[in-house]
Amino acid sequence: MLLLQLLLQGLQVGALYALTAAGFALIFGATRIFHFAHGSAFTLAGYTFLFATQAGWPWYLGGLAGVVVATLFGLGIYWFVYRPIQRHEGSFFTVFVAAFGVGIVVQNLIGMFAGRGFASVDTPLSRAVEVLPDVYLAEVFWVAIGLSLLLFLLLTLFLTRHNAGVALRALHQNPDLLRAYGLSSTKLSLLAFAVGSALAAPAAILTAMTSGLNEAIGHQVMLISMAATIVGGVGSLRGAALAGLMLGVAEAVALSFVDTQWAEAVSFLVLFAFIIFRPSGIFGITQAR
Amino acid sequence: MNGFKAGRRAVLGGLAAAPYIGQARAQGTSPSGDPYIVGTLFPMSGPNAEYGSVFTAGAALAVQHINADSMLRRPVRIQAEDTQALPQQAVVGMTKLVNVDRAHYVLSAFTAVSKAVAPVGDRAKTVMVNGGAVGPDLSGLSPYFWNVIPLAHLETQALLPFMMQRNLKRVALVYVDDPLGDAILGILRTALPQVGGSLVGQFSVPRTAQQFAPVAARIRQTRPDAVYIASFGAQQSQIIKQLRDNGVSQPLVSYSAMNIDSVRTLTEAEGLIFTTQSTDFEGGDAVTRRFATDFKARHNADPGTYQVNYYNAVRLFGLLAQSLERENAEVNGENLRRVLLAQREFDLVGGKGRFDELGNMSAALQITEIRGGRLVKVG
Repeated sequence: MLLLQLLLQGLQVGALYALTAAGFALIFGATRIFHFAHGSAFTLAGYTFLFATQAGWPWYLGGLAGVVVATLFGLGIYWFVYRPIQRHEGSFFTVFVAAFGVGIVVQNLIGMFAGRGFASVDTPLSRAVEVLPDVYLAEVFWVAIGLSLLLFLLLTLFLTRHNAGVALRALHQNPDLLRAYGLSSTKLSLLAFAVGSALAAPAAILTAMTSGLNEAIGHQVMLISMAATIVGGVGSLRGAALAGLMLGVAEAVALSFVDTQWAEAVSFLVLFAFIIFRPSGIFGITQAR
Repeated sequence: MNGFKAGRRAVLGGLAAAPYIGQARAQGTSPSGDPYIVGTLFPMSGPNAEYGSVFTAGAALAVQHINADSMLRRPVRIQAEDTQALPQQAVVGMTKLVNVDRAHYVLSAFTAVSKAVAPVGDRAKTVMVNGGAVGPDLSGLSPYFWNVIPLAHLETQALLPFMMQRNLKRVALVYVDDPLGDAILGILRTALPQVGGSLVGQFSVPRTAQQFAPVAARIRQTRPDAVYIASFGAQQSQIIKQLRDNGVSQPLVSYSAMNIDSVRTLTEAEGLIFTTQSTDFEGGDAVTRRFATDFKARHNADPGTYQVNYYNAVRLFGLLAQSLERENAEVNGENLRRVLLAQREFDLVGGKGRFDELGNMSAALQITEIRGGRLVKVG
């Protein structure tokens, strides 16, 4: 029963990792910008939802506000930080440092305005009840799984059926050809940041309900997103999502076999294993040099 | 170029502590000359930053009082360094405080941080005072390292008989993988059997861990009577919430680190039992009443244990430095220690503070339970 319990818990956490990682992978895949401040979009969305619920807003309005804030943050950072840098020299390192700096600023601003401590949304959705002998499950489990499946379905439809989605994929594969066809890479990059950042919001909202928030949570989110992107195959959205889910499950199920302090290390063992044995990741494409 | 260069940690620490320090400095106009520097090594950012604000509030009020009373010939100023509760950052901060800022006195917190900075302070003969960490090996860490907080072995000595009375004999421990957690594991391993209890499970978690639902599943399997949580900062709240959300219904017990607002106001922390220092703010002496009144006036809230401790730590500096000024002796680590060991007893918040030869202050303890978001004394 312990294994089943851990598997269910792993699926719940993994679904949230998958959403966050998919957002990061979408942005990185389409724009090749290492958006280290993706964790800040997550944090801002979570705190917006928290403030909205504390202010007495209905949950759906709070959730919508979280999505809007994360999206605006994504659009803002591309327009005011990454784009100017790319216009001048645009080295990978400069962009990374700028993103890192934005992450620190956001963390401190949240600390100043929201307090420097733990915060969570109090909801009965996160209270688990015994569904089988010694197996506990909270309603938020079904919300996390259902929402993730729905969002991935919508995202897949968007990327395969909608012109803008197809153009986003093209931006990743051949930006020069895209421009030759008269499409604006700036507009498509904005779209990638909007959609990618918005994807972090549902995970942030559910995290606010389950494990809670603090102003420094963005770093942890980024760590998982990066690991999932590498394991899934750089540039592969479904790879990142699957890897996120896999990391969450591995972290939880590992407790059946190892001591609790090694749970996080398991994620990174998976990461190292992929780097060594399959550097291109699950769905990555091996390129001959 | 020898001009002053502020490090990132100092700038961040200074910015985070500025609201408190600014108020403290505004009051101190009478004393003149170069200020005495009281360095702080607190987490002002990161997941433990809540403690930094709490600690600084107590220290800043003491600085305000010392300056306003013209207790010393020179003003006292706080120099904040942000440690993020990490030993590496703390050593950098301590080195800067000692070598660049020439701090006369340094306030430390967190067991791992305190153990990391103690050799630096020891070499420089700079007094370091801890009012927040409870690792038992902080006692006697250095002749210049003092504690104004009862350490963990004293807290557990007070808590375990109470737990046995409530028939909480089978204890599962969730502990952070750092010197504090290891110390509490060691204490419970030896002390529980001595009082008729047993440690039925021990679950170490990394400092960065955020997911505790799987740990809850493992804890449930041990069928404990109570779960002892030995962590701090945002993580301890996450542990409480996730244990409660995931079917751990047994009483939760802990130590004084739980005495912060984010735990007290957490719905899932209802019924949490932990040890704290006992301070009578209303019926106490003049020093205690002044502290309580001014703290409430400034922060619109009642003071907590940590504010008392860091107020006392800075007030202790004021009293020791005052004695040295009267002797026309230099205010440095060696002299501060000499006066401490000569006097041993000081008027501090909570009554007389008595120090042993290792620089540890004794304090009364009480057992507290969170009921309806309030702290209720239960033992």
